[in-house]
Amino acid sequence: MALLEAEHVVMRFGGVVALDGASVDIAPGEVTGLIGPNGAGKTTLFNVVTGLLAPTSGTVRFDGADITRAAMAKRSQMGIARTFQKLEAFNTLSAFDNVRVAVEKNRRAKWKHRRVNDVAHEMLDKVGLGDVADVTVGTLPTGSARLVELARALACRPRVLLLDEPSSGLNEEETSSIGRMLLELVDDKGNDLAVLLVEHDMSFVMGVCARIHVLDFGQVIASGTALEVQADAAVRAAYLGGDEFRGAYAGVGQ
Amino acid sequence: MILGLRPPVALAALLAAMAAVVIAVFNWKGAPVTGQTFLVTTYIGLFLGALWAMYATGLVVVYTTTGVFNFAQGAIGVFAAFLYWELHVNRGWHSILALFVVVGLFAPALGVLLDVVIMRRLRTASLVVQLMVTVAIMVLLLSVVGDIWEADTPRRVPYLFGIENGIDLGPSQLPWHRLIVFLVAVAIAVAMRYLLRRTRIGTAMRAVVDNRELAALNGARPNAVSSTSWALGSMLGALGGILIAPELGLDPATLNNVVIIAFAAAAFGALRNLPMAVVGAMLIGLLRAHTGAWLDFGPDYRFAHLSIAPLILLFVVIALPQARLEVGRLAHNLRRHERFTKWWEGLIGCGVIILAAVALSGGWLDFGIWDPGAWGSRELNSANEAMAFALIGLSLVPLIGWAGQINFAPLAFAGFGAFVYLKLAGDTGDGYWILLVGLLCAPLGALVALPAARLRGLYLALMTMAFAQAMSLIFFPHSWILPTIGVGRQFPHIELFGVTFDDRRGFFLLIVSVFAVFVYALVLLRRSRYGRRWMAVNDSQAASATLGIPVVWTKVVVYALSAAMAGIAGVFWATVSGNVDSVQGFDLLIGFNIVLLVAAAGVSIPVAGIFLIFIPLFTGLGHRLEDTGNVDFLVTLLEIMTTYGPGLMVLGMVFNPRGAIFEMGRGFSPLLPWRSDARAEIAAENAQKREPEIGELGIERPFTPEEVIAIDRRLGILDDVVPKEGYGSARS
Repeated sequence: MALLEAEHVVMRFGGVVALDGASVDIAPGEVTGLIGPNGAGKTTLFNVVTGLLAPTSGTVRFDGADITRAAMAKRSQMGIARTFQKLEAFNTLSAFDNVRVAVEKNRRAKWKHRRVNDVAHEMLDKVGLGDVADVTVGTLPTGSARLVELARALACRPRVLLLDEPSSGLNEEETSSIGRMLLELVDDKGNDLAVLLVEHDMSFVMGVCARIHVLDFGQVIASGTALEVQADAAVRAAYLGGDEFRGAYAGVGQ
Repeated sequence: MILGLRPPVALAALLAAMAAVVIAVFNWKGAPVTGQTFLVTTYIGLFLGALWAMYATGLVVVYTTTGVFNFAQGAIGVFAAFLYWELHVNRGWHSILALFVVVGLFAPALGVLLDVVIMRRLRTASLVVQLMVTVAIMVLLLSVVGDIWEADTPRRVPYLFGIENGIDLGPSQLPWHRLIVFLVAVAIAVAMRYLLRRTRIGTAMRAVVDNRELAALNGARPNAVSSTSWALGSMLGALGGILIAPELGLDPATLNNVVIIAFAAAAFGALRNLPMAVVGAMLIGLLRAHTGAWLDFGPDYRFAHLSIAPLILLFVVIALPQARLEVGRLAHNLRRHERFTKWWEGLIGCGVIILAAVALSGGWLDFGIWDPGAWGSRELNSANEAMAFALIGLSLVPLIGWAGQINFAPLAFAGFGAFVYLKLAGDTGDGYWILLVGLLCAPLGALVALPAARLRGLYLALMTMAFAQAMSLIFFPHSWILPTIGVGRQFPHIELFGVTFDDRRGFFLLIVSVFAVFVYALVLLRRSRYGRRWMAVNDSQAASATLGIPVVWTKVVVYALSAAMAGIAGVFWATVSGNVDSVQGFDLLIGFNIVLLVAAAGVSIPVAGIFLIFIPLFTGLGHRLEDTGNVDFLVTLLEIMTTYGPGLMVLGMVFNPRGAIFEMGRGFSPLLPWRSDARAEIAAENAQKREPEIGELGIERPFTPEEVIAIDRRLGILDDVVPKEGYGSARS
């Protein structure tokens, strides 16, 4: 049973068709990948799902309910959280305060009145930023600021977590630790969490994603497990090309 | 879609039309409408519209090509008109020569100068800094005009092409001057449209504002492009000023207010669409001319016809489509550890403020070489006025400083507060009503913010400006609102806790205490979840909305809070001035000065409000020095500081957007015994200064040998070795 479904979503900006009837679904308990070349419409799909953009046509469903036109606050309340490809951390606030803003908003509904500071520290520790809690985010390196966004999204206690290129700006070691963390999060049945991951780092995607949707020119050209997607001729033609793909092959199926 | 219009547009148009019909029916003058009078009124309207279109064209060109909305556009026109008067009338130059010198040489030079020295550096600045700086330039230009051409001599700018001859239209005629001006304005708008849309330089201009780096890579020269824009905008402002001066008279304030009409016209074109901006200007012109001709609003609303532009702005703002949420900008001058004042530090600080007020005003302090003595009534008057200003300034701290929203109307809210208090408390002066004043001002603030809060911040700024003007044109002049013209009714003395604050020192201590309480409340608020949330919304609206924070509502709430604070401050200000009439002095320019000073002081820090005491303080000092005699240069210096100080301080924001208090705090905090963190930070900074900064990886210039050492050391491949000869200076 899919937790979040986008059905036949079309998004036009003037003459440009960013999404051309894309359908994507993600299920709880696993990480779903969303890959595709630059300009394929991945971030636009995120914006439609979180409500930053209203689609030209199509439906977005969460837990069976139609949320295509729902307010952003409503979606957040239902449990949709995200990070941004172009950083949108609260730059003038400390890392701790970035997370606190999110906890405070969701404390009553999601955290059962736990102490704000406790939850915020827990989230920062989870992404490994406990040491820089007091540092102003605008002065942190890009990779750390990305982790702040991740901690902030987790502080909403999401049921669907949309991650837009979380690994860019991180080194290999940090990337794999994010991967481990994501798998831990979705494996924890108590979280009942679904993750949608946009990534360019193929070994990362192939390593953590149970299923992958491939987007090209606003359309989903393939969906399936890492192996299935890799074998798909249309995907090879449209996107992977060859070498990049073969290198990633080693990481599959672990 | 209704008649091809989006619903909000249709709604706004319908509301505007209904309002227009109702107003017209109730205020019909009864003058006979003939084809002749109608025609004459129409061409006067079109002519006025053409002049405003010229200003609006300049605004739109600069905004579309540089991303900076130029509040100084009107002031450039004022300066040009006075300069033209000086050359043509006072020095007797031929009008064409004078026109060429002002519009062709002076104006572009001014534009380029502004661009090179200031505007270029504003590209990545926050909206607050951008607007503050252009407003500062406006205030500075007006001050310069006031200083060079003193107001005591009457001046007139003659019509450029004569008004005596023209096309005959039966009993009246259409003068050449107006016809030519109309045609020139339309031609300019068409030419600018062509320039922006169809020419190479125009495309480059629009490209640069979208993505400066990318445009530069494609061969555009961003600096040349922005200088061209500013030169063009400045020329249009200058020409508009010279052409409109004969109609309005050569008065700086009147001429400058034209800019609000231009704002409304530009907003009509969503600030970017040139043809629609021209249409908007014409529409305002026609409305002005026809209301003047057919309607009579009576003595209470004698300025109502002047408020058409603010009202148009309001309707446009209601009709504009919802903006996409703003994504964050890069913040500048961040410190690694931002530190908020702790609750007990705030308590100490406020205690110090109150103690200092008691000691200073009581003459307890003797500085050895100079014993100021107890304050007399004049000092206390100045001090009371100063504190009232400071209190108004405080209302801007959560709004501008934290939420990053702009309010040019603090005085309008203050005036409204004074009005409410007068109606509530009447002659008794019962101080408890002040709390209710705050509660009643809050909805007004929300009401002003509501239509514009869903749009970009710039519209909110314009909206508050329109609101301030509408208040001083429609609300305050009404005889019921402030029913005392001529009689000089006094504001009652405030009475609180059974004490009547009727002596000046008592009132001074009261207002200082209120100030301290407000500052302390702000200190606590900034540490609270609300302060945090407001700053978060300012940093990134998109991210805040994703977290479930209602962005529009948050902005409205902060406006309401700010209006409530300003309203309470207004009660004190009105009480200081005593006379109710003075509420009419709550005008836009003083409001600008308040906003500018708070911004320059460092508006994110509550105690910044105290900077506002400098205006009356300098004036008071000046009086005192005049009494002692023989210090003319000091008096002049103080006058210059009072006139130019706020503007010049704000220009400093270009380099230090966080304001003066912030820097002072950095210097001062290490002296506090409990601030070992501040001392450690200074030490760390000094240590860092000794390490040479590694440049942009040698792209901007070759590495120096010292930098090579620094790089090597940071890479861990060098302990301490003398640099090899020629290693870092391969190019030379």
